[in-house]
Amino acid sequence: MTAWKDLAMGAGFALRGGREGWARTVLTALGVGLGVALLLLAGAVPSALAERDVRGAGRAPLTGAEAASASTVLFGWADTRYRGEDITGFLVRPEGADPVLPLGLSALPGPGEMAASPALVELLESPSGALLRERLDYRVTAVIADEGLVSPAELVYYAGSDTLEVPSGSAERISGFGVPVVDEDLDPLLLFLVVIGFAALLMPVAVFIATAVRFGGERRDRRLAALRLVGADRRAVRRIAAGESLAGAVLGLGFGALFFALGRQSASGVRLFGKSVFPEDLDVPPWLAVLVAVGLPVVAVAVTLFAMRGAVIEPLGVVRETRRVRRRVWWRLVAPVLGAALLLPLAGREPGSGFSLVQLVAGTLLLLTGVTVLLPWLVEAAVSRVRGGGGVSWQLAIRRLQVDSGGAARQVNGIAVAVAGAIALYTALVGIESSFTGPTGHDTDRAQLSASGRFGDALTGVEGVTGTVTVASAWLAARPGEQQDVLNVTVGSCADLAEVAALPSCADGDVFIVDGGETNAIGLAVPGNDLHVLSSGAEGLTWTVPENLTPAGTRPDPGGVVRGGLFATTAAVSPELWEAAPRTVYVSVDASVPDVVEYVRNAVQTADRTASVAQLTRIEVSDEFAGIRTGLLVGAACVLALIGASLLVGQIEQLRERRRLLSTLVAFGTRRATLSLSVLWQTAIPVLLGLVVASMVGALLGGFLLRLVGRPMSVDWTSIGLLAGVGGGVVLTVTVLSLAPLARMMRPNGLRTE
Amino acid sequence: MTGPLLHAENLHKTYRSTPALEGAGLAISAGEIVAVMGPSGSGKSTLLQCMAGIVRPDSGTVTYDGRVLSELGDAERSRLRRADFGFVFQFGQLVPELTCVENVALPLRLAGRRRRDAEQAALPWLERLEIAGLAGKRPGEISGGEGQRVAVARALACSPRVVFADEPTGALDSLNGERVMELLTAAARQSRAAVVLVTHEARVAAYADREIVVRDGRTRDLESSR
Repeated sequence: MTAWKDLAMGAGFALRGGREGWARTVLTALGVGLGVALLLLAGAVPSALAERDVRGAGRAPLTGAEAASASTVLFGWADTRYRGEDITGFLVRPEGADPVLPLGLSALPGPGEMAASPALVELLESPSGALLRERLDYRVTAVIADEGLVSPAELVYYAGSDTLEVPSGSAERISGFGVPVVDEDLDPLLLFLVVIGFAALLMPVAVFIATAVRFGGERRDRRLAALRLVGADRRAVRRIAAGESLAGAVLGLGFGALFFALGRQSASGVRLFGKSVFPEDLDVPPWLAVLVAVGLPVVAVAVTLFAMRGAVIEPLGVVRETRRVRRRVWWRLVAPVLGAALLLPLAGREPGSGFSLVQLVAGTLLLLTGVTVLLPWLVEAAVSRVRGGGGVSWQLAIRRLQVDSGGAARQVNGIAVAVAGAIALYTALVGIESSFTGPTGHDTDRAQLSASGRFGDALTGVEGVTGTVTVASAWLAARPGEQQDVLNVTVGSCADLAEVAALPSCADGDVFIVDGGETNAIGLAVPGNDLHVLSSGAEGLTWTVPENLTPAGTRPDPGGVVRGGLFATTAAVSPELWEAAPRTVYVSVDASVPDVVEYVRNAVQTADRTASVAQLTRIEVSDEFAGIRTGLLVGAACVLALIGASLLVGQIEQLRERRRLLSTLVAFGTRRATLSLSVLWQTAIPVLLGLVVASMVGALLGGFLLRLVGRPMSVDWTSIGLLAGVGGGVVLTVTVLSLAPLARMMRPNGLRTE
Repeated sequence: MTGPLLHAENLHKTYRSTPALEGAGLAISAGEIVAVMGPSGSGKSTLLQCMAGIVRPDSGTVTYDGRVLSELGDAERSRLRRADFGFVFQFGQLVPELTCVENVALPLRLAGRRRRDAEQAALPWLERLEIAGLAGKRPGEISGGEGQRVAVARALACSPRVVFADEPTGALDSLNGERVMELLTAAARQSRAAVVLVTHEARVAAYADREIVVRDGRTRDLESSR
């Protein structure tokens, strides 16, 4: 019963301890709250991603309807892109009076009408959407409701059509919307990256929370000494301290839940790297909520009691062990050695084949824990060897660190772990990047865009277009409907064909044969052979292979495709075939013309709503890989911002503890610059050491992760320098931000005792 | 008799809505020791802080050696406090991380002396205040009385012309308090430093040449020269 009373008394001190007590409790709660919010947010990410998939599947067209009915709809894809933003477009043409409806719509738009997402409506109505309005020149008659969107910022529209036909290459008959979610397994290598990312980014959050519950420790110790004076025994003061921490942690949980709720509520308005989520999709798994709610107070109490181990709280004051026990290094090596021991056996095993993710995460966390436990020892060992020579600011800083290096090390621990994790992740990312990125074969010197569809001469006279290579392509077979033995014919002018095949010489009416490139039933290319055109839109046409076939060589087209089969000049085929066969136009543009790409898209996609325009690039990045890389960057940015905030709070807290001393030093003439510089040194020295340890552990861990996935160990010094620089920058920013409160605390008011 | 070294006239100072000084004044000559007495909250410490150029009065003037302190910039007043003034406070004034000798040497270092020189110059002051054995100890390892002696040594180490002592014995027992006062006044007289001694204890004030009383922000000279 007494124990409960002590705990309650401690909680009472935290909540009713006057302005000072409140300030401390609120600081702790804010720190814990931020950490909790980040944990909950990280826990909610998987559900948000899963919900995106569910939403995407929920509006996917159900294809395969054979016959038209009252409910069937002809459906075509009309995706486009505007100034780097993807826009999903659907063309719809109901075949009966009672058409199926996608989620988020109460009626299908009629011809010339469009139902658009709120974000697209906003874009179209804004001045920056003027060019897009020319392309999507429909009348907006409805706004798609949230249930029909993948994300709140999604740009999507349904447009009514009166030209869609089946069979054609650009339309399908659908009998409904909504398909089962395809649970695609993530590539094991990417899963590995995600798991390591979560571990490496959440570890600093844990360190941050542990630091936050120790805010204001010295002041609390003095209060506890006063309690000893009035009769509290040592156990009682520990329980009271535990009660205080508990109150801070519980309040922090409340703040965390509030921050998360506020963040969740405003999620729809936030776009990070083009991604957004609906608030209702951000759900925290119950097990995580329970774990945080129960685990955090326990951790808070444990950390407080651990922090008090070096202090003897006596009735007349707090005696920190005067003969300081030197920090031992041996037990600090246990965590990193154990981590390495767990990771080593995994080396060389491909993820997905007997690869224990639990072992991997445990090993990674232990290695990162190594940073947090080694840093205090390293800082102590380093500063104990430094003499207090140099300027007064240097002497004050060094002496302060010599007396209490633990506090400073604790402050930079979060940054060190975050940087170590980020370096490891970045090293691993760079190492496996080659598996997910690669040369596309696109020749961007010859063309910068490729457009496919049936848009005729739409590109003639478009501003900024400097050249085009237009080829039509059709599949031919001996019988209609043949799937296996097919032969490709590419049709174009001599000049254009020369861009997609190595022609010896060319005159209109020539036909060339290229044995190579893509798989072709070259045996069909027999002069006089009557072949059926298979390509959609040109079905029913036939073509007779002409007598004189000139052999030619292969040449990759500007899109990197090595074509084979027959190459016919336009005069060698019927005008019907030339018109009906799907065309690809490689477009060269003058990059100095602003929005030239949008002009091309406008020209092409107003002529053929289902035409596609793609930008050619030399390097392609896998979408999944790019998404994960973006996610990790966002996570690292959030963690560094959080740690920066914690550093600032810790710094201010430490300055508050020394307010009277600072005022006294100023009173007897110490320059304010000297004290400011001293504060900078006090942070800079542990930070420098922390970044050295972080870089070493990060590089080691990153290299190790690469070995795990069978890649050669490599150290990317640029990324190490960059990330260490970012960490250092955060610290410098925090120091600069703390100069204002420092100036306030150096005022003579600190000398007042009444 | 030459004019006063430090002269405060008609000082007014208000903290938020609470008046601390309402027309207080004090003049002190070189080598003179003046006790400023009064009950808690009467404005004694504020008067000391105004006279030392730590706090700017709302109105009134403080003249030191012919210069009006309120007309000096912060840097100039800081330089003055470093070079010409010494300070002893009740508690919390020693830098806990520095050793005693480093604490005493601190004003000399701030004045630009090299570390070794400053510490060499500080050692005799530790001897004079009978704490030479504590040179290498940190404030946390010595008693309160010893700490105040270190503070006195630090206040005198830069050979100030005025020492400001705000309740220098307030946290000490009577025996230690008397010893600190004996050492402070003896050292000050020896080096011809004036002392502004803020105290509410009559036995401490007895070490002064003259006593003035501050009550409700105003001063009254008791003219009790000894």
